[in-house]
Amino acid sequence: MSLALLLSVGLGLGPATIEQDYFVYVAAESADEVYVVHFDGQHADIQSRVKVGYMPTEIEGPHGLTVEPGGEHWYLSMAHGMPYGTLYKYRTADNRLVGKVGLGLFPATMQISVDTGLLYCVNFDLHGDMSPSSVSIVDPEAMVEVARTTTGSMPHGSRLSIDGSRHYSCAMMSDELVEIDAGTFEVLRRLHLDDGTGGIARPRDGGHHDAVTKPTWVQPHPDGKRAFICLNGSAQVVEVNLKDWQVSRRLPTAKAPYNLEVSPDGKKLVVTYKGAASVGIWDVDKSVELARIPTTRRITHGVVIAPDGKFAFVSSEGIGSEPGSLDVISLSTLKRVATVDVGLQAGGIAFWKMEKRAQ
Amino acid sequence: MSLSALSLLLFSPALLPAQDVTPPAARIVIQPPSLELQVGETATLEASVVGIDGESLDEEVFFFSRARRSVTIDGEGKVEALAPGQFTIIARTRRRGATGEGQEGRASLGERLTTEVSVTVMPPPLVALTLIAPEGRLYAGTEVEFQVQGTDDRGAERAVAALSIVSSDPSVAAFNSFGQLELRKPGSFTATAEAEGVENSLDMQVYANPVASLDLLVNSDEGRTGDVLHFSPLARDLNGSPVTEVPVTLSFTARFDDDLGPAASGQIEPDGRFVAETPGIYTIIATCGGTTARKSVRIVPRNVGGKLKLVGRGKVYDTHTSDLWIWEGIDGRDYAVTGTWGGNGDAIFWDVTDPANIERIATVNVDARTVNDVKVTPDGRLCVLSREGASNRKNGVVLVDVSNPREPEVLTSYDEALTGGVHNVFADGNTIYALSAGRRYDVIDAADPRSPRTIGSFELDTPSHSIHDVWVEDGLAYSSNWSNGVHIVDVGAGLRGGSPTNPQPVASYAYPSGWNHAAFPYRDKETGRFYVVAGDEAFPFGLHTEGLPTYPRGWFHFIDFTDLDAPREVARYQVPEAGTHNLWIEGDVLYGAYYNGGLRVVDISGELMGDLYRQGREIAFFLSADPDGHISNAPMVWGPQPHKGNIFFTDWNSGLWCVRLEQEGKN
Repeated sequence: MSLALLLSVGLGLGPATIEQDYFVYVAAESADEVYVVHFDGQHADIQSRVKVGYMPTEIEGPHGLTVEPGGEHWYLSMAHGMPYGTLYKYRTADNRLVGKVGLGLFPATMQISVDTGLLYCVNFDLHGDMSPSSVSIVDPEAMVEVARTTTGSMPHGSRLSIDGSRHYSCAMMSDELVEIDAGTFEVLRRLHLDDGTGGIARPRDGGHHDAVTKPTWVQPHPDGKRAFICLNGSAQVVEVNLKDWQVSRRLPTAKAPYNLEVSPDGKKLVVTYKGAASVGIWDVDKSVELARIPTTRRITHGVVIAPDGKFAFVSSEGIGSEPGSLDVISLSTLKRVATVDVGLQAGGIAFWKMEKRAQ
Repeated sequence: MSLSALSLLLFSPALLPAQDVTPPAARIVIQPPSLELQVGETATLEASVVGIDGESLDEEVFFFSRARRSVTIDGEGKVEALAPGQFTIIARTRRRGATGEGQEGRASLGERLTTEVSVTVMPPPLVALTLIAPEGRLYAGTEVEFQVQGTDDRGAERAVAALSIVSSDPSVAAFNSFGQLELRKPGSFTATAEAEGVENSLDMQVYANPVASLDLLVNSDEGRTGDVLHFSPLARDLNGSPVTEVPVTLSFTARFDDDLGPAASGQIEPDGRFVAETPGIYTIIATCGGTTARKSVRIVPRNVGGKLKLVGRGKVYDTHTSDLWIWEGIDGRDYAVTGTWGGNGDAIFWDVTDPANIERIATVNVDARTVNDVKVTPDGRLCVLSREGASNRKNGVVLVDVSNPREPEVLTSYDEALTGGVHNVFADGNTIYALSAGRRYDVIDAADPRSPRTIGSFELDTPSHSIHDVWVEDGLAYSSNWSNGVHIVDVGAGLRGGSPTNPQPVASYAYPSGWNHAAFPYRDKETGRFYVVAGDEAFPFGLHTEGLPTYPRGWFHFIDFTDLDAPREVARYQVPEAGTHNLWIEGDVLYGAYYNGGLRVVDISGELMGDLYRQGREIAFFLSADPDGHISNAPMVWGPQPHKGNIFFTDWNSGLWCVRLEQEGKN
């Protein structure tokens, strides 16, 4: 990567009095690299670049990222292997690899439960026949897979309930939301997600499905009562009432909503539009899209929101040799305030930490 | 505390307020505290949570095994032992609601109430030992291998630890410290094996050695380094009659042509095959009991040395270059296509009719980061490009009409069941073999290249199998499968009734390193032997994509598949301090891409045995250093292809090269 690509671009639109430093991890899926990006409230820059993987001449595809509760380690799911993917564990202090464990085909998004202390990673398996795949449940201290629970076709968007007791994932090619008990590892409920017009998943040979709504992401709301889901194939975000286990609201979006995140106060919803090169910021209570902000690169991918709720960090992939990017969006001004180029096909993203800057 | 208030406090996991992380004051009590089980046995763990004052707490405990393929536990605490060993089961309280925290609470991993339960699973008891004597009679003055096999209470073979085996009469026969049986004089003895309290014996007889004389024959009194000579000991009894069933041991001494500290010089196998690496006089010694025979042969230099002369270049500096294909176009001119690695998804087309003036004539860009492999159908009309890193993650292959390579036309992109990335392809006529996600290869009918369709597939059935490459020749597909090794599959050869729509396995061979990356068949006309040459790929010291050279490792393995049911690895070509990549064989010459070791040209004629590099079989090498390369002066040869007397190859750092071999050696 040229030096120019590593240079940060500050757009000068951020609040002038931010006294925090923010740090996020971003994975470059076609470069087998993970970037640590620092944002000071106005400018974003690359703090370090970590080469990952074990097959140097092949694209292994770092996809999912999460930071351990307590912040001592970060975890990376590597999509391709021989042929199965791998979960890697790195120290945040020096980005040194300290553990790994083999998972299923194309392990993708993941999160660690505050309830069980275990890590839940979906095996996306987006290649070949759309047969039901699984969620790998990993003891992150020993880096051992302790269970593998079958869910649906192409599970994605691995997220936990606010108390960590329930795991949710979307089955993209069987149009399902799947709930797992985080302690027993058993599937508790499934919800078929239609597009609200009567279109439902159509059975195909072998019990597989031709997807219609293609749900790609689920995020429980901080109130613990509902979850938001991207229907990538139907240009909708739906709200599911977790008690009734029914769709309670539909938000029409731009093309191909892919990832989303709810702000810690539960008031804003940030949705990446993979097919519209932009991000939508929604008022959760009013069901109103407050702003639609173009991203630096065309294929908008992941989003995380800082714990203080002030900024959203958005990864975008780019095409071909075009670098990926990380955009920082102010959730108060609803504008992009900084961007920095990272490696090819920037996708997975995880918030690491905030640090109060020394005066 | 409200969630919003909580979130305001959580500036950082590292700054987590101490009051949200209550140190465990209670403990989990497990009954029984540890388990010792036999394989197949079950037991149940009872868990309770006791407070700091000994009071019982109403906390939910869940279990999981850290070795679920060896010992399992369900939600009720029922443990089942599956395999022998020492394992750990974890009992842990669920934290939900305990502190009022949410997912954002970020309690550290070690802050849950957790207890480890040790589970020892005993191996099935050993119930029998079987002593396996060598076939045939035992003769004094010889040495034979002896085996003992253990059986468990389920009738399965079991490893035997601390085996003791003794002879009742060491003056007749004795076991040495390596378990070999030394037969000393005629007589009878009893071999007794003991392990884990199980004992078994076998009575055996040592016969007088009938060999009274030995002769040693050889198929030639002189050979070159690398030539395999065949020695045949001929044992006779006192009557002059041949004795065939008494083992004869072969060894050799050597007197080299120089005395400048030569290294180990040769190799002899029990079946009499001998090969030398260093010129000199070699004396082969046959021994049987007290009888010996000697035979000396002269080994002369192989003298196949040549020189590779640079003919032309097609420079690529802005990105890394991957594979190549050279072909004669339908207009009679010669063309090349090269792929790119970690770049923009380009495939570059070249006119190489005059290899001293290679002309870049076209570029096809596809949605990919790496076009790892490029192939052209034998009729010169259709080019297949592999895709990895596509922006829509659908990858697959791209079919390009190259009837006029100066104006290549993309006909279609085909990704049916190929979305995981296609690393390598092969074009056998209009039938395309394409790897899918490193897991299998699919067979695609491209007779109508605008509308290709998948007609077959081949995938191994071993656990965690993978695949890296496939090459098709004369109806046999040769795939390279990392730790699963080389697999030969009938796709139309008539060996196993296979076809492209119904591939049928023929033979396979795996080697321990797991580095199997490429394979190329070779039939030696002189000996009639059928080899598959398997190339490694290994980066034990990593790969530098920018700025620094890389130091791979690995070698070419020569696997003798003449007997398809009993393949043997018989030789290697290993350049020290370098690593192999792709290869090509034409006639009796191997063209090897040896990454940092450059291009290597090797004489592989005749029977093969030992290390061909050390035998002087290397004809020439060429180091493609380029100060302006993507990484400066760092040869990294990716793939070779001979074509019309020239040798083309790609270098990862500098693009397309053409060299020509100038023969210097007499042979």
